[in-house]
Amino acid sequence: MSVLEIRNLHASVEEREILKGVNLTLRSGEIHALMGPNGSGKSTLAYVIAGHPHYTVTEGDILIDGESILEMEPDERTKAGLFLAFQYPVAVPGVSVANFLRTAVSNVRGYTAQQTEAEGRSGVIGSNLMPMREFRKELNEKMKEYNVDPSFARRYLNDGFSGGEKKRTEVLQMAMLEPKFAIMDESDSGLDIDALRVVADGINKLATPERGFLLITHYQRLLNYVKPHYVSIFYDGRVVMTGGPEIAHMLEEKGYGWVEREFGAEAVPA
Amino acid sequence: MSVLVKEPEAIVHAVQGFSADTVRAHSAARNEPAWMLEFRLAAWRQFEAMPWPESTDEAWRRTRLTGFDLNQFTPVANAAGKVEKGELSKLLQAELNEMDSAASMVFEDSGLRNSVFHARLEDHGVIFADLQSAVQQYPDLVRKYFMTEAVKPDLNKFTALHAALWDTGAFVYVPANGRVTLPLQIILNQATAGVGGYHHTLVVTEQGAEVTVVDDLLGAKDGLQASVVELIIGAGSVVRYMNLQDFDHSAWNFLTGRAVLSRDADLRWIQVSWGSRLTKAFLDVDLMGAGGHAELLGIYFPTGDQHIDHQTLQIHRAPHCFSDLLFNGALKDKSRSVYMGVIQVHPGAQKTDAYQRNGNLILDPTARADSIPGLEIEADDVRCTHGATAAQVEEEYVFYLMARGLTRAQAERMIVQGFFQAVLDRVPVESVVHKLERVIERKIGG
Ligand SMILES: Nc1ncnc2c1ncn2[C@@H]1O[C@H](COP(=O)(O)OP(=O)(O)OP(=O)(O)O)[C@@H](O)[C@H]1O
Ligand SMILES: [Mg+2]
Repeated sequence: MSVLEIRNLHASVEEREILKGVNLTLRSGEIHALMGPNGSGKSTLAYVIAGHPHYTVTEGDILIDGESILEMEPDERTKAGLFLAFQYPVAVPGVSVANFLRTAVSNVRGYTAQQTEAEGRSGVIGSNLMPMREFRKELNEKMKEYNVDPSFARRYLNDGFSGGEKKRTEVLQMAMLEPKFAIMDESDSGLDIDALRVVADGINKLATPERGFLLITHYQRLLNYVKPHYVSIFYDGRVVMTGGPEIAHMLEEKGYGWVEREFGAEAVPA
Repeated sequence: MSVLVKEPEAIVHAVQGFSADTVRAHSAARNEPAWMLEFRLAAWRQFEAMPWPESTDEAWRRTRLTGFDLNQFTPVANAAGKVEKGELSKLLQAELNEMDSAASMVFEDSGLRNSVFHARLEDHGVIFADLQSAVQQYPDLVRKYFMTEAVKPDLNKFTALHAALWDTGAFVYVPANGRVTLPLQIILNQATAGVGGYHHTLVVTEQGAEVTVVDDLLGAKDGLQASVVELIIGAGSVVRYMNLQDFDHSAWNFLTGRAVLSRDADLRWIQVSWGSRLTKAFLDVDLMGAGGHAELLGIYFPTGDQHIDHQTLQIHRAPHCFSDLLFNGALKDKSRSVYMGVIQVHPGAQKTDAYQRNGNLILDPTARADSIPGLEIEADDVRCTHGATAAQVEEEYVFYLMARGLTRAQAERMIVQGFFQAVLDRVPVESVVHKLERVIERKIGG
């Protein structure tokens, strides 16, 4: 049982405050949906949790099991069990999915440290990776399970992938990295209904009691397939309301205009 | 026939410095026929008549010869004589063992050290000979093609010097419809420091022939190398050529290469420039017949104070030809690269399809890459595109990879390797790909 806690988090980019005191707790086994209008800072929250160097945390803290992760590099956070599925995964030319993922998996699963100790080798590239055969086998199995065509192993990361292919490959990577906490930033956007099902199936398979999910989304659509335990409304850099799945239905009904009227600058405090 | 009046060693040692006498002694030491001596002397006269490149010459504006003095080099190296493969240095043996070749030749300093034939090339009329022997054995062929068609001696100061003093190199001849499936491997190790070397590669293929040739260039500490590559490609013939230059970082390196393509010929030329303190390479593909297909792909990765300059020319003389050029380079420290390229489309070369791209990845703010692409088009129904980029390692790529658990160093390494991948993907010999990957890794590392 693990806990990811976001406490009074303030963050800015280029002197402009985007996150204005976010409070949110995610436990293993929970699926927590975060919904909010465009530009409210959802992706910023995801990036700040993952440690994007562009953003500065000015106040508050992010903790995994009581330990602050703010001082950690992005890769250390991933090793600590975080995973961010990007809203817009970048294409990295010339870097194949299999090649990069083998290094990623080896780091996260600790092959790097183990092998070096066991065999006294150090600094030799390729000497401390997960054995190729083992890795291939697992990758092939997971590609099948998560509906990613085997040819993608050799393709360059997100290079020329369609929107749906990118999102599916993000889910595949999550399945390989087996995080404790996954933040899915609009993994449903831009997908047709079949692709949406594939992505939702993937999330459901991975939604085990040892894993917590933060699902960032605009629509009820994804939540028809993946049942959240909690739904929070995000507005103007903070969580303004948290409840059960009924919140998502209410939002669907009333629209984000209602959020604005209720929680915006002009809103009359109750 | 010239008459050998002294022992070769004695002849070379009797003459010092660059002079017509050096040329004569060099030729006599090889017991060359009179026509070759005449050829060399004529080239020497041209060399003497030509001025040294000036910074006002367009080709040399960005690549200065400051610190270069011909007299700092011993004009020609001695030849050490032939040995068994097992007596070669470990490095050379490893180079030979790595590649699954049809045949190989190893040159050290100015002579052939070792040759191995795995395939029975002569049964098929294929010639793979060291050029010195070819002059004696195949005088008609050599006379016909050697610096007469592709690269003439007076093309530039260094080709003239090369023509006068050429020493090592291979002659490859593949008759009509002959096919050599495994690569022909040529290794030059300029072992002695401070000398001049003049490596020549002459490949002639007849109609429908296929061949892959790899030139591996090593050594040349404090030395000079003025090499020439000539690829004369027959109709419908398929040639894969790799020039892998990994000289010592103190070498002055001048390369002039040109491929001449007949109708429907198909060329892929991989140019790798890892080593040397300074490289100036002129690389031309000349599409003479309709339907020709030429790919010219280059990679370079200067570090320290290295200066690497490639100047390319894609000449479309005939209609319906395709040429694709891609040069990708990464730069570290205070290194410098220059890329200049022109696509030239002659009148009548309609339906030309030509590409030219140069990408530079700047890894340190002190490194600098200049890129000057150009088009000269005299036909109207053509498609030509060119472009140059210079960029740093993309921070968003680094973050993405780190967010998946790669360390910053791993992420950067992978991005740099990925940048070269567009060329590596098109290198047709797997052992060469692995070797290039290792060098890239070494260069990224420090
Ligand atoms: N790197 C950045 N540089 C400048 N401004 C930024 C940067 N990142 C985010 N912002 C700004 O912060 C605000 C919040 O952006 P963010 O992408 O977090 O919103 P979002 O809630 O994810 O929106 P969407 O629903 O459209 O994905 C926006 O006004 C955006 O322009
Ligand atoms: Mg967003």
